[in-house]
Amino acid sequence: MTKTFTPSRPIWCAGCGDFGVLHALIGGFEELGVAEHERFVIAGIGCSGTLQNNLSCYGYHTLHGRVLPTATGTKLANPGLTVVGVGGDGDGYAIGGGHLMHAFKRNPGVAYIVMNNGTYGLTKGQASPTAPEGWQNKSFKAGGRNLEEDFDPIMLGLSIPGSTYLARAYAGQPAQLKSLVVGALKHSRDGKGMGYVEVLSPCVTYNDTYRDWRTSVYDIDSEGGYDPSNRAAAFSRMSELREEGRLPLGLIYEGKHPALETISLNDELPAPALHDLSANQFQKGYEEALQSFIK
Amino acid sequence: MTTKKAPLEDLNVIVSGQGGDGSLTVVNILADVLRNNGLRVYTERDVLSRIKGGITAANLRAYKGEKLTISSHIDLLVAFDQLAVSKYAFRLNAKSIVVYDSSIGELAAESSGLPSGTRMIGVPLSRHAVKNFRRDIYKNSISFAVIGRLVGIGDDALRVAFDKRFGPRGKQMLESNLLALDIGFSLAEEAGLTIDDSLYELDEKDGYSSEGGHMLITGNEATAFGFAVAGGKFYAGYPITPSTEIMEWLIPWLPKFGGVVKQAEDELSAINMAIGAALTGTRTMTATCGPGIALMQEGIGQLGMGEIPLVIVDAQRSGPSTGMPTKPEQSDINLMVYGGAGDFPRVVLAPGHPEDCFHIAVKATNLAEKYQVPVFIALDQGLSQNTATVDPFKLSDVEIDRGKRMDADTLASMEVYKRYEFTEDGVSPFSPPGTRGGMSLVTGNEHDEFGLVSVDPTNRVKQVKKRERKLESMRPELPRAVTYGIETADIGFIGIGLTYGVILEVMDILAERDIHSQYHQVRTICPMLEETGAFTHRCKNVFVVEYNAGAQLAKVIIANGGNESHIHSILRYDGVPMNSGDVVKQLTERLGIKEEEVA
Repeated sequence: MTKTFTPSRPIWCAGCGDFGVLHALIGGFEELGVAEHERFVIAGIGCSGTLQNNLSCYGYHTLHGRVLPTATGTKLANPGLTVVGVGGDGDGYAIGGGHLMHAFKRNPGVAYIVMNNGTYGLTKGQASPTAPEGWQNKSFKAGGRNLEEDFDPIMLGLSIPGSTYLARAYAGQPAQLKSLVVGALKHSRDGKGMGYVEVLSPCVTYNDTYRDWRTSVYDIDSEGGYDPSNRAAAFSRMSELREEGRLPLGLIYEGKHPALETISLNDELPAPALHDLSANQFQKGYEEALQSFIK
Repeated sequence: MTTKKAPLEDLNVIVSGQGGDGSLTVVNILADVLRNNGLRVYTERDVLSRIKGGITAANLRAYKGEKLTISSHIDLLVAFDQLAVSKYAFRLNAKSIVVYDSSIGELAAESSGLPSGTRMIGVPLSRHAVKNFRRDIYKNSISFAVIGRLVGIGDDALRVAFDKRFGPRGKQMLESNLLALDIGFSLAEEAGLTIDDSLYELDEKDGYSSEGGHMLITGNEATAFGFAVAGGKFYAGYPITPSTEIMEWLIPWLPKFGGVVKQAEDELSAINMAIGAALTGTRTMTATCGPGIALMQEGIGQLGMGEIPLVIVDAQRSGPSTGMPTKPEQSDINLMVYGGAGDFPRVVLAPGHPEDCFHIAVKATNLAEKYQVPVFIALDQGLSQNTATVDPFKLSDVEIDRGKRMDADTLASMEVYKRYEFTEDGVSPFSPPGTRGGMSLVTGNEHDEFGLVSVDPTNRVKQVKKRERKLESMRPELPRAVTYGIETADIGFIGIGLTYGVILEVMDILAERDIHSQYHQVRTICPMLEETGAFTHRCKNVFVVEYNAGAQLAKVIIANGGNESHIHSILRYDGVPMNSGDVVKQLTERLGIKEEEVA
């Protein structure tokens, strides 16, 4: 077998929640039988943006915040790939926040896993968009208190009619994490659109939230009568739980809307990436285009 | 009155009115009719960045031979708004004819600043449009009758042209416009214009010539078409004047060739979608102009570091910032040649006319994939949006070179696959994702041969040099300049894009006075080829003609071995296209030649 890169060991601190995500993703690929060469893992900038180096795959390290547009382009060009976007809360909600609503709206067949730790680990612990109001970096008090309300991406997703798979997991609950990641992978591979999973993934160095989150998470999967296909009810329940200070986990919403690649491509022809350009197959079409400038 | 009429050799027309009056439509239909009479045509727009209102104009030149620029002198002005008459008066002379809308009253030549004796034809266009259709816009269809009678286009030929233009928009649309044309014919009769009075004798005044067969195309369209024929399959972009027609052309056509076009939410998204597609081994392009290129800078650096192929079209417009969005400029040369953080190889190609755009687009698409670099195509508003007749492109000339693209069989025969392998030519083999055995990492961080992040100093230097070597490897394949004129002439011209037609016309004017010159139509501005510097040594006086205030092209030439003491810059940045008369004037002043000896 051809030797390729040897996956490196994660750069994360011992105890980092991102280890759980890496294991869940590798487990998900294996469970679904996604071969190494069919995996395309697109990672953002930040601690979580190194995940692609730690498994065998085709991996790409994007510009900060640009995981979703990149993944959208990849999926449209080659829908046969299993495209997974990974990144942090700064990458996905701050610098890349503008793309999130468009990705929900477009619904491309990609799994998008955000490792949310509420802080910027690599730059030593500034507030991220998901840091609660009043939050302060304990080791850098001069950084000041966060004066802004935190951002809830699941609520954003619920408010956009194109979204089809919205879930939240917690790195401290690996079984549920893996099943939601598998669900998102399946959703995206089956032409249903974007499988979005936000993973609460504590930063043990700058924002160790294991204790807080263990007590505030709430498992919606086991709530009797909760219907993840009812967008309005989901929104309402999420608002209530938020007011109660709870962090809902589980499959929060699953809906139906055609995946972007299923409606964008000419299904009578190979996908854009898969053409044999030496075949001269479109000579007649090019001639027709040329004639359109003459007639 | 049946005097022998002149054949149409060179006709310059301005159609002007308020934005939304349909001046562009008139010129487009007129261009279509005339090019089917065996004439070449060139059209140019002078519009504002608003949907309606303001004085705008469309220019047309119909001619025999090669022009690709509007003349300094205008033969016929069609003014839907009387203000347009005074605005363009300076380009008219006593032989010019003015057709104007007399709905609000008659207009005298003198009071509009026109030479006395200018033939003024007042036709109440708007009044009849509103009376018959309750819509002012029909005045442009009415005006066609008058234009046709003056130029010598037969009534039936106009009907055929209308059928072609309005037919596809529905029966009612066509019938109303044909009715407007008939109203125009009676108004023309009232003004004493019959086909026998026309200024010119057209070859095929009653219909379309069966010959001809020229394409009528803009630089934007030719660029988009070239990309498609080169196997381009993915386009992402954000609409921005004057690049938008590239996306508009690709939207219906690219899917027919198995490609896809995606309109992104901004240029950051556009270039990253393009990167996402390019990473799969798909030939990919994006197009924008200065403000978009500014937003894309980070992505361009990513292409350099990640060695990701992408064609980026910059349809340059007046800057900085939002500038004058509908006006031509060539002031992003520095941005394309030097922009971005860090050092990385990139290519900047600059076509001079629509046919060149087609071939440059093919070349750019090949170079990007083969050398895994960003390749810019530098257009400008004029080249992008002006239409010109060109001979049909030779599609059979198009060759596709995919470079070091790996497949599973090749990979299986290799002991080790490294995405960023150090190679002699600087190009490392590329395995498209999905290919068994070629798992690899692409990153904007400095990396080792496998694509794993590395800050090792030795590796760093080797990677920088590897990327740099690609420029030397590709040099023999870069588009060479085309030289026009007399090779021993002391006067030389260098210019890109919109300056092409003007320079050629200036050379004709000079040649008539036995002043010889030559034109180095440079097509690769980064990395600049030796031939360009050499040209500035060969000619004693080299006029670098550019649309910017900073002499950006001249400075790039000087930085690459150009002879500064031979270079004179002719610069324009007021948003107005150059005309040959002005350039001749500047040139003669610089050289101390009396202008009357030339003009």
